[in-house]
Amino acid sequence: MKKIISTLLATTLAATAAFAADIVAQKVDADLTKVSYTSPFWKSAKFSEVTMYPQTAIKMNDKTANKLNSDNGAKIANVAAVYNGKEVAFLVVWDDVTMNIQTGYKTDSYADGFALQFPSEVKDVNKLPYIGMGSDNRPVAVYLQKAVRGFYEPNGDGNVYYQLNRNQTEFFGPELKKFDKKVKGIGSNDYEKSFVSEGFRSMTEIKDASKYNSYSRLSYKDKKWMGTLARPISDSYATLNKSAFPVAIATWDGAKLGRDGIKYLTPWLSVELEGGQDASALIAATSAKVKGDVAKGKEAVSTNGCAGCHQIELSDPVNLMGPSLANIGGYATAGYLRESLLNPSAVIVPGYNRNAHSNYMWYTLDNGKRVSSMTDYTWLDAESLNDIIAYLQTLKAEVK
Amino acid sequence: MSKRQLAMVMDLNKCIGCQTCTVACKTQWTNRNGREYMYWNNVETYPGTGYPKNWMELGGGFDAAGDLQPGIIPNLEADYGVPWDYNYEGLAKGESFEPNVEPTWGPNWDEDEGAGTFPQDNYFFYIPRICNHCTNPGCLSACPRDAIFKREEDGVVLVDLDRCQGYRYCIAGCPYKKIYFNPKLSKSEKCILCFPRIEQGLPPACAQQCVGRIRFVGFLDDEEGQVHKLVNKYKVALPLRSDYGTQPNIFYIPPTESPVKFDANGKPIEGSNRLPMEELEKLFGADIHSSVKTLKDEMAKRKETGKSDLMDILIAFKHSDMFRLDNNYYQAVAKEKGQTPLAPVDTRYLAGKYTKDSGIQYYDPNATLGGHH
Repeated sequence: MKKIISTLLATTLAATAAFAADIVAQKVDADLTKVSYTSPFWKSAKFSEVTMYPQTAIKMNDKTANKLNSDNGAKIANVAAVYNGKEVAFLVVWDDVTMNIQTGYKTDSYADGFALQFPSEVKDVNKLPYIGMGSDNRPVAVYLQKAVRGFYEPNGDGNVYYQLNRNQTEFFGPELKKFDKKVKGIGSNDYEKSFVSEGFRSMTEIKDASKYNSYSRLSYKDKKWMGTLARPISDSYATLNKSAFPVAIATWDGAKLGRDGIKYLTPWLSVELEGGQDASALIAATSAKVKGDVAKGKEAVSTNGCAGCHQIELSDPVNLMGPSLANIGGYATAGYLRESLLNPSAVIVPGYNRNAHSNYMWYTLDNGKRVSSMTDYTWLDAESLNDIIAYLQTLKAEVK
Repeated sequence: MSKRQLAMVMDLNKCIGCQTCTVACKTQWTNRNGREYMYWNNVETYPGTGYPKNWMELGGGFDAAGDLQPGIIPNLEADYGVPWDYNYEGLAKGESFEPNVEPTWGPNWDEDEGAGTFPQDNYFFYIPRICNHCTNPGCLSACPRDAIFKREEDGVVLVDLDRCQGYRYCIAGCPYKKIYFNPKLSKSEKCILCFPRIEQGLPPACAQQCVGRIRFVGFLDDEEGQVHKLVNKYKVALPLRSDYGTQPNIFYIPPTESPVKFDANGKPIEGSNRLPMEELEKLFGADIHSSVKTLKDEMAKRKETGKSDLMDILIAFKHSDMFRLDNNYYQAVAKEKGQTPLAPVDTRYLAGKYTKDSGIQYYDPNATLGGHH
């Protein structure tokens, strides 16, 4: 089997080595600790168009939101990156006709926002962390900025007094106004959060000092959101390669009740640092299109009974056993698809809370290690594998 | 499933809808810091829209196959109701007394309306509702961040605010809509069964303050406890809407007694009952029939013989029997976790499966009064 994989890799590499990186980071001689969309270097930066696909691997349980998102359209974002040897900064621009800020005393308002995801480290470009916030032993660092205005720490920064209902204070008139102002003052308008994650259920907020390493801003102008993120090329949560590294981008649309899994996300994108060393291995791994017969692949998916556990296309019935493959071609790399077919337990999509669908045991525990219920397809010949992967790569939403 | 389950029984025959429980909970937990609109405990009129509006139709819970169902997140203005306020200060300046927002909806907007035609056959009763601390919680199952957990020691369902990211799928997943979004913190919050009180020997505020003494609190496996007896021995206490599949741990003694209907001339119709059994069946399932039968039989027995253990329990003589908080157990759990057990602040409700009666004698209504002989 090893031999098959290495031959396949060799052919895919040869076929795609000519491609350019998805994003080319320009070297700038500027301080990148505090970056916003008005920073001067963006004028000369190279913008790349990337496609973000709706997350459909698992279905969320919000009826209203699911209805609003049933169109399954992909979205375009324009991305530029710069670096200065120490830090790297990104500018992500995407269209959004409605500016949704989560603010005020409301229970069903949702924020627009964006996030950038980096693998904590890349040992093997063909074994990147799962796109959905990493996987076991393949952690990612995620940086999130959302248009949430006026939110408070649960413990009010320890100041219990200002958690009081204004009506229960002893104040009236100007003093009460002063109290209101003070309460408003302890609220934060900067939602920026950073996380470390080994699969989306496990995502945990970084609360140690390294949360100050990143700096993210979000601005809305001319029906576009502009999100910036700056972070060190290396810190304790992610060590980025100095020549090329993968990044993935997600955006949320508050108008469509987007949050968490109701989002748009790119596949792993290659970022090449100008003046760095050869980035072709990563570029090939993230952009490889496997050569195969799509029609035969579709046939093979059908004869091998994949639909027994997976929803293949969105028009097929929802299947709770495995993640939906409806947009898998949008956000999975060829390497991930191949690995999942040959070694299903290498990455097990965290999926639903097991309590939510107790009859669907898509993994079992063996000495605490998750073993996928999916059978492996190592017995398939190389051609059939390529056909299947080529077909799966076509499963993705159109840009609307 | 947790190791043990703390549960509550509420006797709907005795609930007078006074909202003392609501106020006890509100002043204890939800009158501040983004929780103003929340009622972790509310008392609603049934039949009625309930709180939030039409919560029974908002989805969540599980189907027969055990799959979590999608749900709808209620709107603050339309479904929960905005907590409005008045211009008290303006009164001094001669302004007219006006609310700061136009109130269009709120909890108990349709209080005491009920169903039927007055005076012939109208009826209603009250249902106090708190989080059901379900054995199979919909909120927990819906959380994509695994931020909701069920305490191993007593089955109390809690939100880990450090993990919660305010996605609100829990609200869609809870069929009782008893978990709420705190817009100020951008996180979800819910009834905590007053666990900080429980651990120190105090029953939940709603239960202790209840003037009708309708609430019993204890562990389901505590065979000496009244909760166990009502739920498991007499099987008269039933969970609300168990068809949602979450296995709730708040149980209700269904209302059994209702007045007879009147005919067109205002004459009582003998043998009639204003409370339709179908409505009770919808709320409490098919077990309602045996529960009501047992209650009626025991009531008759009590009338005839003067003796009925079940009726004695439901009369709710002593708080110390109604609340069995098993303090030794909590002390042991704390020690196991390497924490310093908290000293109980009240010694009346400490008994339980692992805690012997404190031995302290309080007022016993059955004791013979009189001096020494």
